[in-house]
Amino acid sequence: MDFEFFIQQLINGITLGGVYALIALGYTMVYGIIQLINFAHGEFFAAGGYMGVILISYLASQGLHPYACLAIALVLAMGYCALLAMAVEQLAYKPLRNASRLAALLSALGMSIFLQNGLMLTQGVYDKAYPTEITSGGFHWGLISVSYMQIFIVALTASLLVGLNVLVFKTRIGRAMRATAQDKVMSALVGINSNRIIAVTFAIGAGLAAAAGIMVGLYYGSVSYTMGFVPGIKAFAAAVLGGIGNITGAMIGGLIIGMVEIFAAGYISGEYKDVFAFIILIGVLYFKPTGIMGENVDDTRV
Amino acid sequence: MKRLLVLAVALAALGLFLAGCGEEKKADQVLKLGTMSPLTGPYAADGNDIRQGAEIAAEVFMEAGGIPGYSNIEVIPQDTACDPKQAVAAANKLINEKVTGVVGAYCSSSTIPASETLAEENIIMLTPASTNPKVTERGLPYMFRTCGRDDHQAPAAVKFMKDVEGVKTIFIVDDKTTYSQGLAEGVAMAAKEAGIEVLEHDHVNQGDKDYSAVLTKVKAANPDLFYISLQNSATGALMVIQARRMGVTAILMGQDAVYHPKLIEIAKGDAEGMFCTFGAIDKDAPSYKEFLTKYKAKSGNEPGAYSAYSFDSATAYLMAVKAAGTTDPVKVRDELLKLDFTGASKHIKYQENGDSGSNYTVYKIQDGTFTPYWNSLTGEKY
Amino acid sequence: MANLILDDICVRFGGLQALTDVAFTVNEGEVVGLIGPNGAGKTTVFNVITGVYKASSGKVSYDGTTITGLRPYQVLSMGVARTFQNIRLFQNMTALENCMVAQHSRSRTGVVGAVLRSPGQRREEAKIIEESRRALEFMGLGKVMDEVASNLPYGHQRRLEIARALASEPKTILLDEPAAGLNPAESMELMRDIGRITELGINVLMVEHDMKVVMGICNRIVVLDHGVMIAEGLPEDIQRNPDVIEAYLGQ
Repeated sequence: MDFEFFIQQLINGITLGGVYALIALGYTMVYGIIQLINFAHGEFFAAGGYMGVILISYLASQGLHPYACLAIALVLAMGYCALLAMAVEQLAYKPLRNASRLAALLSALGMSIFLQNGLMLTQGVYDKAYPTEITSGGFHWGLISVSYMQIFIVALTASLLVGLNVLVFKTRIGRAMRATAQDKVMSALVGINSNRIIAVTFAIGAGLAAAAGIMVGLYYGSVSYTMGFVPGIKAFAAAVLGGIGNITGAMIGGLIIGMVEIFAAGYISGEYKDVFAFIILIGVLYFKPTGIMGENVDDTRV
Repeated sequence: MKRLLVLAVALAALGLFLAGCGEEKKADQVLKLGTMSPLTGPYAADGNDIRQGAEIAAEVFMEAGGIPGYSNIEVIPQDTACDPKQAVAAANKLINEKVTGVVGAYCSSSTIPASETLAEENIIMLTPASTNPKVTERGLPYMFRTCGRDDHQAPAAVKFMKDVEGVKTIFIVDDKTTYSQGLAEGVAMAAKEAGIEVLEHDHVNQGDKDYSAVLTKVKAANPDLFYISLQNSATGALMVIQARRMGVTAILMGQDAVYHPKLIEIAKGDAEGMFCTFGAIDKDAPSYKEFLTKYKAKSGNEPGAYSAYSFDSATAYLMAVKAAGTTDPVKVRDELLKLDFTGASKHIKYQENGDSGSNYTVYKIQDGTFTPYWNSLTGEKY
Repeated sequence: MANLILDDICVRFGGLQALTDVAFTVNEGEVVGLIGPNGAGKTTVFNVITGVYKASSGKVSYDGTTITGLRPYQVLSMGVARTFQNIRLFQNMTALENCMVAQHSRSRTGVVGAVLRSPGQRREEAKIIEESRRALEFMGLGKVMDEVASNLPYGHQRRLEIARALASEPKTILLDEPAAGLNPAESMELMRDIGRITELGINVLMVEHDMKVVMGICNRIVVLDHGVMIAEGLPEDIQRNPDVIEAYLGQ
């Protein structure tokens, strides 16, 4: 019974942590490459969630198989958010590339408010329901239950994380990203168009956030225009916890924050779960100011 | 940085200028009615229903002849975001706009501080949705409430649990607002008095989407009934979906904040069989049908949970002003207390403390709609 | 016909005149030395050629095309690569990866192709590795190609800078003090390497303080002092030029 309770909470934690990890990657990649905390990142997550529900509903009305709808919507929403992020970068961050970091930070905050309100005006203030029928059902063993949706989330998260690792460490785009993160001038001198690479970095981060948005919509059944804020903050904390700028760190940080939240809620009280998540964050930063994977092992920086 | 500063000063100057322009335009006998509700943020859905309810009430009232001496009724909506600080700022803004009456707010935690600001200027406030007892228990002469009270709602809910469903154990969750936690504590207390065991009373945070941890606890505790006191129908829907997915088999029960068509729209089949307490609105009554027709025609959408209460609050105020022939708060208050009419939401008769009585009914979600199930006043099933 | 032509280049930073009417050429197959006392503007010349700084006036052309105003990555894709006086390797990457990065402008695959590992991408990746390995082996670094750059000994890091420049398949290489910090034996080896680079059909413009290296391998020498060209000519002429002697001794 107690053991089953623990296992169930572990499964809950992995699911939530996976979502945080996907969002955290966008923060950390952008920070790694231009040292900007992109506060608008949570809104890409929300925009992805909305795009997902719009596309899934439309495709389903065309009589497509639910899984085909889901796959197509996922790809299109990721693409849409990638474009959105590139537009935001072009509009709000690129002109400030050589300005003070504070200016860029304020621009990011402004963009976040702008996007959130844009979402409110275009999509309305009401939560939008996801067609959850396609994802219902699951396995039950005694007290433990694992929904198909949880399996789907964990599987998709894992494959996106693997894909990202391959991209960053095994391809020319990834090498260019790492080079740009380390030395912008030198990378330009070996033939890398840093503006392009920065845009690509934004696009990839937003694409991952969009995937997270759709999964959250499917898993929890609805999306709302404010949905980007809280997970955005948590994911940012995860990125800092893992060592901001570090990809592996963001993944680990996301999982830790998700786990801590679930276990604090499960064993202490739901009331204090955020408190514990942030206590862990502060504790880690106290002993290791650069985060878990920061400092010495920064060869995974993007 | 310097340029930013200049810009800020320029904007501030522009703002002052615009405000100055606003002052210039003297109201030529336009009655100004403010609304306060969360137009942005997680509670924007209910908040916009409240704004719309008051706006439509004003339009309907004008079409029915308006108020002698006034050329128009202007409704000035303000956003509280369900945040006490912003609610006080909104109240101050309405004071500057020279409103004489306010319909609002939604969250009790906004209504209470805002009402104190409005009270300093003797502005009448009628809340369509704040059910915390404190709203009308601070001796404010101009505070009225069209909805019910949580200290009536909680006992009504518990009576239903015990008498109708024969519940022995409950698990309570709230999301820590003045309203949701206050009500949850009321339910916990009433349950103990009624001999129902409260297995646990846990809390979640506003803005959470993932309730898996707390629901795993619910499942392990295996209560007869799971009482959900959240501030919002959308989060309520998330809780219901996840509870059923997790395999929680307890009876689900919610309250007036999760009572909203959106709950069913989002939770779909998972919401079937859930109970909610809400004021008894007789949807077959002619007054409600009339309201429904006009509301749909003017707004193009279905009324939300609090649309009728907001409509009635605004109508009550306008009726009182018309009867008093002035917006003088003392006279309008007297007229409000004299009112005795059947509105869209219920029969309205304000008492000396501003309350209008509670008539909580338990609704059951059946076939995708809220169906009246049990009346707390009569103790009878429908 | 890899010709680099500088035409009356001027560079001003605020009130400071860093370069005044600098004009010279680097012709096919040549090794040109750029010398001058500290602060003469040698590195500025490199920065103007590679697009890091914008010239206030004048123009740089390469292979008959004007390259002033191009961005650094565009200059590189024209075929002009460069090394730095203070080593600027990607410290956390392996030697091989450093060279592979330099192949960026010689390859195409985008994000989608890269993730899906299309056959085209694999072929391209194989080609990148092949080119990079060849550049490393050319500079005698074949054995250390999987070492992380920051772990390499100083001499190897110098060579890796050159290997990385070569990996971008340039037609012209700009070397900024390649012999700095090398012992005499290493300098000798470097001179031989530069000779071999020219044999590949790559011409070289080199800033260097070590006169033995400069005199030993340069076909022509350009002398800068306070941003002004004070002499240009064959090594033996430069050695006897009174203005040059004055500039160095007066220092």
